[in-house]
Amino acid sequence: MPASSALRPWGSAAVHLEVAVPGAAIGAVAGLFATGVGMAAGLPAAMTGTAGLALGLPLAVLGAAYSVLLARGVFPIGAVAPLALYWLLGFPAAQLFDAHMVAWVTGAGSALREPLPSFLLLQAMLSLGFTIGFLWLHERTMPHWLMRVRGHNPVAEALFQRYVEHAAHLQRRRGPGRAPRGRRRPD
Amino acid sequence: MDSSPPAPQSSDPPASSGTQGAHVPAQRRAHPSESGPPAEPATTASSDTPADASAAPPQEERFWKAGRLEPMPIRSLPKAPPSIHILGPTVFLVALGVGMGESYMWPRLVLIFGPEIRWLFLIGLSLQAVVMLEMSRYAMATGESIFYGAARVFKPLMWFFFLTAILVYIWPGHLSAGASAFERVTGIPWQATAVAGMLLVGVVFTLAKVIYDLLENVLSVCIGLLVVGTSVVAAMVGDLSDLTSTLSGMFAFGYLPDEAMTAAWFPIIVGAIAFAGPSGMQQMWYTLHLRDKGAGMGAHIPKIRGLRHAGEQETMPSRGFMFDTSDPAEMAKWKGWRRWVTFDALVLFWGITMLVTISFTVLAQSAARTDPQVTELIRAGDREASLDAMAGAFSAAGSPVLGTVFFLFIALIGLNATLGLFDSFSRGQADMTYNFVPGAKRFGLSKLYSMFLWGLIGFGILILLFGPADGPAAILDVLAFLSAFAMGAYCVVLLLVNNITLPKPIRPGIVSNAIIAFAAVFYLGALFYSLFAFGVVVD
Repeated sequence: MPASSALRPWGSAAVHLEVAVPGAAIGAVAGLFATGVGMAAGLPAAMTGTAGLALGLPLAVLGAAYSVLLARGVFPIGAVAPLALYWLLGFPAAQLFDAHMVAWVTGAGSALREPLPSFLLLQAMLSLGFTIGFLWLHERTMPHWLMRVRGHNPVAEALFQRYVEHAAHLQRRRGPGRAPRGRRRPD
Repeated sequence: MDSSPPAPQSSDPPASSGTQGAHVPAQRRAHPSESGPPAEPATTASSDTPADASAAPPQEERFWKAGRLEPMPIRSLPKAPPSIHILGPTVFLVALGVGMGESYMWPRLVLIFGPEIRWLFLIGLSLQAVVMLEMSRYAMATGESIFYGAARVFKPLMWFFFLTAILVYIWPGHLSAGASAFERVTGIPWQATAVAGMLLVGVVFTLAKVIYDLLENVLSVCIGLLVVGTSVVAAMVGDLSDLTSTLSGMFAFGYLPDEAMTAAWFPIIVGAIAFAGPSGMQQMWYTLHLRDKGAGMGAHIPKIRGLRHAGEQETMPSRGFMFDTSDPAEMAKWKGWRRWVTFDALVLFWGITMLVTISFTVLAQSAARTDPQVTELIRAGDREASLDAMAGAFSAAGSPVLGTVFFLFIALIGLNATLGLFDSFSRGQADMTYNFVPGAKRFGLSKLYSMFLWGLIGFGILILLFGPADGPAAILDVLAFLSAFAMGAYCVVLLLVNNITLPKPIRPGIVSNAIIAFAAVFYLGALFYSLFAFGVVVD
């Protein structure tokens, strides 16, 4: 279906929001991890809620933005490197926001445990792990979600078709044209 | 042994040709010629014809003869799917591999000996990645499990693993460890959680239409959450020096303090290396998951169904299949499969296991920094006391959340391992029973799978309720001891199977063989050195 050609640029907000659900959900779950644990540990509700929301909200927004940008063709499907760059900036920013929000709510004098450059460098390095986990879950959930909503959502339909085309493209690249030359052992 | 490449068979009814268009090879139903009664023993150029009336006119059926068992008919190799879009059977290895070794043993060793000790983890995990690649070689080339391959070489080898699996894995060690951690968080007695968990696993696997699909989806989500969660938490509590020392420690090759070579620590270090990634027989079970995934020639083998859907279970062929290794097009597809599994081994298995253990090490270093007594407690205490100490350090630092986080991750790891282990054990035992116990075929693979699954659950519940109340730590000790031996043994079997039963063009290269041989010497050598030099087994 030539869904992409039928879409106006950026279409309606609703269809994009619907496509953004998987990324937003993964970001929220990642960020709200601390909330559930904090409740189980019996921390004060204000602190638990702040820590979870202040981390979950930016991660959810960034996750949703990734899904939309993926649907708009800004990100290639399944590619690790662009997403790693995305979270290289986004993950430290979310953590920084969270640290300052918790310090502000609890009245703590210092938001960070170490100097800002060290803090940001640590978060940037750990963002690679977050990227892998995020992509793992996103690739698992997005196709299923698209199959559910593509019937009434042209953006979802277009993205779904891109998933199909991308898989076909990869298959073609591995076709007979790449047959081994002069090397008997396959690997 | 005939080592020439199998010749082409033009009347071959392919499972999925893979030569037209792009698609992910789907599991197909067994071909009638594969589902019928076991074929008569055939030579490499049998005159048997496929029992498919709709196929091309009867032509000479060709076989690949491997060992003394039934020869493998030649079939078409399906095309490999794109790597990134298929989170393959590696999820089982990651689920099984990211266990107590990654979450407890290695962080503990780092606290005792410093981050430089992690180079041994790098070696151990990399060895496991190579073993994984070689396990996949046989399974993808034949659609048979490595157990079947062992039987082709020497049938008692297969029975050895059948018995070892029962001895090692009938104890619900991983389940009780995770449930025990869950008790610390919720207060629910770990026996109750463990029993409920086992019953839940049994019911779910019984009701599932196709067990593999269900389990892969569940484990994928669990592992994704684990990776995301540990990254977030490590980012919350760690600092830059924790992470940089953890990373740089992996390249301190040769670092081995004197204390590491003592009777107190050498067996523990060897055990930790064995626990780096999947241990024991988990790599062997991986071949069964590859088959059910439809990887390589596994596409010609039906999937195992849950007991409730046992009536829909296609009859399993009595042997695997081989593809035409003299056909360049088939070899090109084989290369595609090798790329697919290499991506799985290096990026998913190696990478994710490494990521999780780095996060846990950062957590442990953070605990020790906030409470220096943790290191001494860990050095002196047993496993449970050490876990308590690590969790307690987080709490004592004014953040009880982190102690809870630690236990919740242990519980999640326990859940992953339990799901994977119960399925894998049942799958492996059912496969061996189905193929090699006379009369077992009449039950069908689904029922045999369920018999082993519920047998394991029943025994596990009895042990948890009425067995020795030593707690989970004692059970894990037994597993650790037998793990090293089983791993050395399967490396030897792997060398034999891949170099004897496969056609020459797809046999492993000299480098792969050398690494597997080194692994065999390392696992068995360290085990027996520990026994004879120190009089103790690996921990």
